[in-house]
Amino acid sequence: MSKGKLHGYCVYFIIAMFGAIGTVWSQAPPSFDANYEPPRTPSGQPDLQGVWSNAILTPFERPEEFGDQAFLTEEQANAYQEQRRQQTFRGDRTVDVETDVSHAYNDFWWDWGTELARTRRTSLIIDPPDGRLPALTPQAQRRREARIARRAEHPADGPEDRLLRERCIIWDGNNDSGGGPPMMPSAYNNNFQIVQTEDYVLLLKEMVHETRVVPLDGRPHLHDSVRQWLGSSRGRWEGDTLVIETKNFTDKTYYQGASEHMQLTERFTRVADDVLLYEFTVNDPQAFMRPWTAQIPTVKLDGMIYEFACHETNRGMVGLLSGARAEEAAAREAAGN
Amino acid sequence: MLRNQCVALLSLLALAWNSQVSSQTVVEEIPRTAEGTPRLDGIWQALSEANWDIRPHAAGHALLPELGTFTAIHPGLGIVEGGALPYQEWAAARQQENFANRLELDPEGKCFMPGVPRATYMPFPFQILQTPDLVMIAYQYANAVRTIHMNDPGPAPNNSWMGWSVGRWEGDTLVVNVTDMSEQTWFDRAGNFHSEALRVVERYTVLSPNHLLYEATIEDPDVFTRPWSISLPLYRRVEENIELMEFKCVEFVEEKIYGHLRKQSDE
Repeated sequence: MSKGKLHGYCVYFIIAMFGAIGTVWSQAPPSFDANYEPPRTPSGQPDLQGVWSNAILTPFERPEEFGDQAFLTEEQANAYQEQRRQQTFRGDRTVDVETDVSHAYNDFWWDWGTELARTRRTSLIIDPPDGRLPALTPQAQRRREARIARRAEHPADGPEDRLLRERCIIWDGNNDSGGGPPMMPSAYNNNFQIVQTEDYVLLLKEMVHETRVVPLDGRPHLHDSVRQWLGSSRGRWEGDTLVIETKNFTDKTYYQGASEHMQLTERFTRVADDVLLYEFTVNDPQAFMRPWTAQIPTVKLDGMIYEFACHETNRGMVGLLSGARAEEAAAREAAGN
Repeated sequence: MLRNQCVALLSLLALAWNSQVSSQTVVEEIPRTAEGTPRLDGIWQALSEANWDIRPHAAGHALLPELGTFTAIHPGLGIVEGGALPYQEWAAARQQENFANRLELDPEGKCFMPGVPRATYMPFPFQILQTPDLVMIAYQYANAVRTIHMNDPGPAPNNSWMGWSVGRWEGDTLVVNVTDMSEQTWFDRAGNFHSEALRVVERYTVLSPNHLLYEATIEDPDVFTRPWSISLPLYRRVEENIELMEFKCVEFVEEKIYGHLRKQSDE
């Protein structure tokens, strides 16, 4: 088990494990009812409120096996879904106790999703058409290499060397995806809540209780000199779609390699009673050779968000740093000091 | 002085309204939702020294002499009804220890979620979003957030830092029962504390379009000899384009919390 992959703080308040999402997707058509009328708030806005899950088996980038195929056939989707379920299944406890304990969580804790996107898309990325992240600019590539080199040389000198999620600052998706917004799924608790008033939309991501209260009144973004971990978000309605534009990011996040100049456009459209289509476009000419867009059909959950007190109980960081110091001490001893 | 007179005036006004002397005018003056309940929506902030000490207190030295007036204690009239807190004997001693060791112990200094009621009178704005089913409060400090359930969701599954809040309207006042809180939060920087048995009943009353009266009754039989109450006004932040800005303070406390575990340069 890699250090830091399975840290302990997530066990707090993960009673919010909404395991059974429903199994209606397998026969669902690849697109949504264009005539669907969303429920509305008293002020006439589409009602997007509630708790939604972005857990999904569809991979972020299109696997090579699907070539230039953007959509799966129903038969392919069934087979691939089953394959992905097997890949992510952690319920098999027919291992010795040591292995079992070292793997820490069983399937109850993980939240990889149980279904592919109802659209049968082969990847969450829908643009570029190849379903793959565009190439990084040379500048962004250098930045990434420097970061990887730094991490190899200084894996745990101090807390700042660790991933943002291990520091309980931002839950940055799987692997080293470097931040958010956007709201990407990760290994567990892939839930977010929307609360609407006429003038604001509140987005609460369960992980690290990341909260954005987004004004809808057309005000300008924060002054360019003000940089925030979650950026500066402004929202508006385009027809029945909620559009949120976010900029003013810091240089401390690097979502998929993005720079502080990233401009993020998120679109939320309720396309069915139980589906909120979440689409986001990353535009950052300093980091990517072209803009790109991903789409996640998020699914309504019948439950609530519970408090995720990550930092308050971050024993994981103490363990990571103590472990690194112990390894260094052991290495010094072995070297004969 | 002016500020404190204002507090007193507002409290008097609230009393007057509570006794329905001018209920007719209130109905016309305060903003209301489509359902007829007062609108609490907005960005609010306490203008109070209560976060230094909820009791009446004089000015005092900063945490470290080299800080000069930075973190020197701001004097305040206090927000506790009657002034003193009814501590059990052991608890009074514990509060003094807490105060002496506040640099190390105060959860605020570690960027921990502040709990209720402290979140209300910390020197940061917070935003209320009101819907018929729930009232969300987003606090600028530590990106803390809490849901007030207007339909009873049943018992809390566990303790939490911001507690388990169930609200109801009593006339024009939002009354919130807050239970199941972590015992690790404090009431202020003075080390006033509670146990896991803490129960808070909050009352939010609209005094004017730009003022709320915040009252809370605190009950904790494991620490105090009787329930006690606080009250203070909350002010609407009326600046153009006011918004909650980010105070994700983890990075400010990493040295404080983990500094001793850093790799030493000579190793």
